[in-house]
Amino acid sequence: MSIRWTRVAPQLALSPALAVTMVAFIGSILWTITLSLTRSRRVPDYGIDWTEWSRQYARLFNDDGWTIALWNLITLGIGSALAIVFGFILAAMIDREKRGESFFRTVFLYPLAVSLIVTGVAWRWILNPDMGLEATLQRWGFEGVSLNWLAQGDTAMYAIILASVWQSAGFYMALMIAGLKSINSEIWSAARLDGVGLWRLYTEIIIPMMKFTFLTCAILLSLGVIKAFDIVLAMTNGGPGQSTWVPAYFVINALAQKQNLGYASAAAVMMLVLTAVVFLPLVLLTAWQARRRNAA
Amino acid sequence: MTDIASAATIGATIDSRPIVRRRKKRITGRSVAVLVFLTICALFFCVPLYVVLTTSLKTMDEIRQGQIFALPQTWTLEAWRFAWFEACSGINCNGLRVGFWNSVLILVPSLMLSVALSIVTGYALALWDVRWAGTFLFLMFMCAFVPFQIIMYPLIAMTRSIGVYGTIWGVAVVHAVLAMPVLVLIFRNYYKDIPQEIMSAAIMDSGSFWRIFGEIILPMSGNILIVVVILQLTSIWNDYLIGVTFGGFNTQPMTVNLANMVTVSTGTASYNVDMAAALLTAIPPLLIYFLVGKFFVAGITAGAIKG
Repeated sequence: MSIRWTRVAPQLALSPALAVTMVAFIGSILWTITLSLTRSRRVPDYGIDWTEWSRQYARLFNDDGWTIALWNLITLGIGSALAIVFGFILAAMIDREKRGESFFRTVFLYPLAVSLIVTGVAWRWILNPDMGLEATLQRWGFEGVSLNWLAQGDTAMYAIILASVWQSAGFYMALMIAGLKSINSEIWSAARLDGVGLWRLYTEIIIPMMKFTFLTCAILLSLGVIKAFDIVLAMTNGGPGQSTWVPAYFVINALAQKQNLGYASAAAVMMLVLTAVVFLPLVLLTAWQARRRNAA
Repeated sequence: MTDIASAATIGATIDSRPIVRRRKKRITGRSVAVLVFLTICALFFCVPLYVVLTTSLKTMDEIRQGQIFALPQTWTLEAWRFAWFEACSGINCNGLRVGFWNSVLILVPSLMLSVALSIVTGYALALWDVRWAGTFLFLMFMCAFVPFQIIMYPLIAMTRSIGVYGTIWGVAVVHAVLAMPVLVLIFRNYYKDIPQEIMSAAIMDSGSFWRIFGEIILPMSGNILIVVVILQLTSIWNDYLIGVTFGGFNTQPMTVNLANMVTVSTGTASYNVDMAAALLTAIPPLLIYFLVGKFFVAGITAGAIKG
């Protein structure tokens, strides 16, 4: 009796999690994919017209808002990559100069503890043209300074990038410090003995050794960028016009404002595709690494 | 997967490294330059906090002078009082305290639900011989990366059909569901290092799944539990999207209240109230960060796969 119980109990204990995975994740994804093939507007309508199954997608790719969202995604991705560069520089400096390590780490990482809504509110205030940083700098004599980025469509994305780099650089710094610490300390002394310059040491030895940390950071960043919503909402609410729309914002807007279920679902499916595009290299790479390790 | 996980464990151990007593280094020109650079960067990181704090303590007349870095001439907590008691979010003018208590009410059940669900799952997957465990784990891993938008409508429909949509419980349940994959992976990675001998001995001794969990596993999970609880505390508190989607008219969390207050403000904007409200929302996670930062860092690096 007790033997059987021990075999049944773990399966039973797993069943809630299994149910959640099957229903809330896998089932829901299939549900959304189904909806994206229908003409559903406000209420779901499950009749699929197979001759026209791609109509929502066709509409999506002809929608200027979606095109803007995709371009903004690329801009945001490239801009936010600065956070990795910045994070690496900070990590390298902190790791070299041990003095004040915990102080600097604490300071660089605190923005991560704060909600992106708060971050957005704070930066929007700093970039306020009449009473914020711009006004202060002009008062100090920098007359030509213009920081009214949020009011113009072509600069609003830069403000969002600035805020997200500020928020996330510390996180990449923490990952990079972990990566740097795992490097064998003898390399530093060996390089010093060989008279390798600091620049060459980093570009030719340290960074190649940390390629996996960089890859992890890059993937985390890309996934974060695809999910970016809160910061856009808090800083610009998509505006001015549609100039700061990103895919995550597009989906919520199609669902909540336009009340167009089929259309929102199609955009959400495209978000999933984007995620998979970022995510598959990771799976393949780790599988490849694991095989190489097994072979060795 | 293992590599991200190992990156995570490295991250988790940074702070627990033994302190090695170093020889006092001579201060060289290069290290002065590095320290100066780091200090400038630190200032860049601190400026927003400073600006928000000083703005929240000024009067609007003073703010209109446009000297964002100046200290307040007359220090006042009026903006804080107003933000807490009277500020309007939509048509509801009871201040941020409504959102604060909603956030607390959301936090408690979702914390308990998500931790209970994932600790048991992680334990079963790591230490018991379950069929399809590898496949299940892989599925969880995939789920951890799924963007929320793709499951959003089905979750709305499901919570509506069981009658929790628009309530505190709706928000809490959705939080628990969305956090599950990541938390299961964290627990499972923690438990998988328990030697098989301990498990074999325990199975011989008492045998029961739940007794081993209660008497052996739970007592040794203190650290990982703290890490997970802090990770969940901050991410639930800072969440906006789930709160705004699943929260009802009077059950929205503090971040949603704050966003409404700031973006949909009627009349003239009072930046001091906005900043006080932002700080009030930021204080709980900041407190956690400054008090138990070590666990926070371990949590975000372990939960890094959350992205």
